[in-house]
Amino acid sequence: MSKYIARRLILSIPVLILSSLIVFGLMRVMPGDALTALMGESGNVSARDLAKLRKELGLDLPYYQQYLIWAWQMVSFNPGYSIFTNEPITVALKKSIPVTIELAVLALIVGLVIAIPIGVVSATRQDKASDYAGRVAAITGLSLPDFWLGTLVITFAAIWFRWIPPLGYASLWDSPWTNLQQFLLPAAVLGFRLSAATMRMTRSTLLEVLREDYVRTAQAKGLGDRIIIYKHALKNALIPVITLVGGQFGTLLAGTVIVETIFALPGMGRLTVEAILFRDYPIVQTNVMLVAVTLVTLNLLVDLTYAWLDPRIRYQ
Amino acid sequence: MAIATAPARSFDEPVAEQISRLRALWAVIKRKPLGMISAALIIVLVFTAIFANLLAPYDPLAAQPEIRLAPPSWAHPFGTDDIGRDVLSRVIYGSRISLWVGLLAVGIGTCAGMVIGLVCGYWEGRLDLVLQRIMDAVMTIPGLILALAIVSVLKPSTTNAMLAIAMVIIPGNSRVVRGAVLSAKQNRFVEAAQAIGCKDYRIIASHILPNVTAPILILASIWLGNAILIEASLSFLGVGTQPPDPSWGLMLSSTGRAFMEQAPWLAVFPGAAISLSVFGFNLFGDTLRDAWDPKLRRTR
Amino acid sequence: MPTAPRPARGRSQVSRRDFLKRTGLGTVALSPLLNGVARRAGAQPAAAYPDWIAPSTKPPKRGKLITRASPWDPPALDPRLTNSVGLFQIASLTSNRLVRFPFSDEAANSTDLTIKGDLAESWQNSPDHRVWTFKLRKGVKWQNVAPLNGRELVAQDIKYCYEAYAKDGVQSFTFQEIEGIETPDKYTVRIHLKMPNTMFLQNLAEPVSVIFAREVLEEDGDLKKRLIGTGPYIMKEHTRKVRVVLARNPDYFDQGRPYIDEYHILSTPDAATRLAAFRSGQSDILFASSLTEVGTLKKTNPDAQVEEYKTVQAVFGLALAQDKPPFNDVRVRRAISMAIDRQKQVDTLYGGHAILGWGIPYFYFQDKAPTAAQLGPYWQYKPAEAKKLLSEAGHPNGFETTLFYYEYFPEMSSQVQLVQQDLKKNLNIEIKISKLDYTTFYTRYAEGKWDGMAWGYKTGYATGLDEHTYQYMHSKSTKNYWRFADPVIDELVTKLRQTSDRNEQRTLTRRVLDREHDQVTRMWMPYDGGFLAWQPSLRNVGSLALRRNDGYGASTLARLWIDK
Repeated sequence: MSKYIARRLILSIPVLILSSLIVFGLMRVMPGDALTALMGESGNVSARDLAKLRKELGLDLPYYQQYLIWAWQMVSFNPGYSIFTNEPITVALKKSIPVTIELAVLALIVGLVIAIPIGVVSATRQDKASDYAGRVAAITGLSLPDFWLGTLVITFAAIWFRWIPPLGYASLWDSPWTNLQQFLLPAAVLGFRLSAATMRMTRSTLLEVLREDYVRTAQAKGLGDRIIIYKHALKNALIPVITLVGGQFGTLLAGTVIVETIFALPGMGRLTVEAILFRDYPIVQTNVMLVAVTLVTLNLLVDLTYAWLDPRIRYQ
Repeated sequence: MAIATAPARSFDEPVAEQISRLRALWAVIKRKPLGMISAALIIVLVFTAIFANLLAPYDPLAAQPEIRLAPPSWAHPFGTDDIGRDVLSRVIYGSRISLWVGLLAVGIGTCAGMVIGLVCGYWEGRLDLVLQRIMDAVMTIPGLILALAIVSVLKPSTTNAMLAIAMVIIPGNSRVVRGAVLSAKQNRFVEAAQAIGCKDYRIIASHILPNVTAPILILASIWLGNAILIEASLSFLGVGTQPPDPSWGLMLSSTGRAFMEQAPWLAVFPGAAISLSVFGFNLFGDTLRDAWDPKLRRTR
Repeated sequence: MPTAPRPARGRSQVSRRDFLKRTGLGTVALSPLLNGVARRAGAQPAAAYPDWIAPSTKPPKRGKLITRASPWDPPALDPRLTNSVGLFQIASLTSNRLVRFPFSDEAANSTDLTIKGDLAESWQNSPDHRVWTFKLRKGVKWQNVAPLNGRELVAQDIKYCYEAYAKDGVQSFTFQEIEGIETPDKYTVRIHLKMPNTMFLQNLAEPVSVIFAREVLEEDGDLKKRLIGTGPYIMKEHTRKVRVVLARNPDYFDQGRPYIDEYHILSTPDAATRLAAFRSGQSDILFASSLTEVGTLKKTNPDAQVEEYKTVQAVFGLALAQDKPPFNDVRVRRAISMAIDRQKQVDTLYGGHAILGWGIPYFYFQDKAPTAAQLGPYWQYKPAEAKKLLSEAGHPNGFETTLFYYEYFPEMSSQVQLVQQDLKKNLNIEIKISKLDYTTFYTRYAEGKWDGMAWGYKTGYATGLDEHTYQYMHSKSTKNYWRFADPVIDELVTKLRQTSDRNEQRTLTRRVLDREHDQVTRMWMPYDGGFLAWQPSLRNVGSLALRRNDGYGASTLARLWIDK
């Protein structure tokens, strides 16, 4: 087992290095410049001022040097400053990460709470009316664009209920009630999409598992259906679901971008997209690397859980 | 004798397998109403895209600002948009763009992913190690962000959005293909063929590919839906299709949102078009899976 | 100490019948929403909203809080580096200028631009308009925040700021005309200009000419982290992408003001969310870009006060790369201008509520907004003549070109596409549109190397005449994004700076405009300044021309109060 872990860890390193190269490369190749964006919607963009700023920020160095400097910053956990705001990135991250994590966790909970029961029902009553209803609902959830749903929700909340979540993000520790109000709608919107994918996965893997021999055996032995499902089948069916959830993390983060913009939450997604649009390289690079590291870690954890749940995998 | 006949049989089987596959699919479609619905939706979409110029009552680009923001009526069943263009015609022509985006993005992504997956899975070794790490690296970047970055590098346009989406698709596809190739390689026929010294490409064509097509097609059908959605999100972020092209994503994210209260039809119809198409593709993918995934077949 | 966000006001007042009616019809709830859309072409524009909400005659009340959902986040707090409205929505309240334009409760009308003293109490100029002497108010204190700690403002502070502006950054072109500044005593500032400028005072009154704190710049090395001034509001909190909290400055020199205790600016990038915030009472001020948007708002908030933000000039237009072919030929430019149906855009896109488009605030050269006829022959819609002219210029079959833009507001996209259609139909000019994100657009536009066409603009803060003429139109100016160099205009705008007689100024300005329209150097397009909406209990909300008080004109909010 430890060999397995060690091997996976070693393999992650080149992956992370490659990710960093990709994101660095992409940012440098984009037309436009954080500095010209910084000069604002108006006013002089005199060549002299730009050159000076560029030098101060180290943007006139050859690319490989810039890359190495940044790589060192990443490894030493010292991400530097935003070009646009001059704020240390650690500060920006400290403020935005909790928002996105809270949003993701709440969305995940909403998603799972909806998805798993419906998935189970769908699987056990395959091809009956409830299966269809479940599948249609799931696929509808996957078919609606996030921004469409988000805008609908907030517009009609205001028109019909004269209420929208209080603006001006309040952290969970400062004022929990306000915070929950703020996250309710966006988490529901995100969770709806997540539940769709999860529900389908639950359904299909449960279907597979229900055909497995050991389940048939249990049925033959006369164990009640309920026990079979929850004790035997679900546990094994959950393996791919966990994989899916781990995989959905990436989609979740992408989804948060749009939802954070519409519901005015200062999370990582919004920070990253605005940084891309404003060419604020340090922020984009740092954020993407952070996400990459998280994803790699999550994948590792998922695989470990896999291996733990299903001993056969350990011996590969 | 036994060895001599083995290769001969191995060429027949895949073809027969293919036919039986299609038959199985048709059976499933016929039997399950959801399967029929999804097939119908896709046919309608393709039909609309091909015959757009015959179906659309007006020129989708002809602006008549005097009748802008008109609600649905007999003359304009889907209403008119912010500069008086007929929304129905735009939605009809939009099917071309969405289908085009979907097909090209998924086509390129699937083919490239398939090639990479095949190479990695069949030959393994160092090439596999390197390529898979690259794929992993690309997958650590959330899809929308990656697409946004790529389109920002190239100029924002429909074509570049397609390329960006293709890039997002490739790593996942390559992984699935690789997995399918790896499991196909364990097939006795492959061992035997290799033992006789069959050329690699023959082995791939006859034994590996048939096993790979099923999961690929299932994935592709689902990605078709996703591609349309990503294009819409890119338009929302401002880097997708350019005006005045009637892409559903652009219609939904720009005028649809801006005039949501004054003219909800601007968002409802393109939104419904997107949703129905994605719905159709996803459902079709489900149907394919039901028909072809041996583990899901009902045991009668 | 961070102030807790205010609870949402106005719980649901929707009657059961309304609720059923609305939800019953589902998403395509046509009937309640159709009423606002009855506006068709040819419909007379509703003479709906006043262009000036007069200040209340009641005695102002102190206290309370206002919030505003704002689309702009300040990119940086440094006024040397940016002219962005994101900064000045705040800096106009935390800081002062040497002189200023009137506030809403002192203005005679919305185009009243009498110079008033801000930090300066009185001033004089030499007869040749080259030396300007200011006497500062005594006892003006910097805000009681470290490192200023409430010390008194002195003349050296002003000198420091202006010299810093001249040295580096976006203000340098304006301040480089200063030859030298003397501070003979603590309260006197004497400025020597390199050449005469009768309108120098206006430049100092622009919202961007704020006086910042020397100690902050010296201690921090830049002005990006702290914003401390002498103004009516102290920046208590600045959480990026979330909110800015401005708290009343108890030591403000304008005794008794400001009235409101706190002003919260909430970062809200999405337009639908801002509208929703106003409706639910979480935002007190809303900008609506079109008549239809106001109509929608009024349906749910019939008591909201709405003012039409007076449109005195156009801010956007068709910019051509006129330093190269084909656009360097004046005949091509004229032809294009005559092939675009501006009146139709006004009638259809803006419901009649927009101007045809010209580049200098009209009250600088005449009393009433110009009519179509007054804008010159090339501003009229004459497609046949345009076609002839273009053929004469050597393009009988048109040509292909590109146009890039950033969608500042949705109607802009509509306009761009209508222009594309007009030019294709009338001149066979094929335009390929690129709708860009903000950074790409701004970079390409400001760099000045682009080909083809762009939807260009002039900066939003300018109030004074010098800014509108010399600063934007002189060929050597760094703010001349439109890439034209016209020696006639150069001469006229320089002469304008030397003219002190008001009538002469008007005549000269008129000549500048006429020349611009004759040469089509900047092809202004129809523009609607939009509307401002306020919650019913706010007073002194009137926004003056060229000084929208949710943005650059925020300094007048010191006179705002809540009648509750």
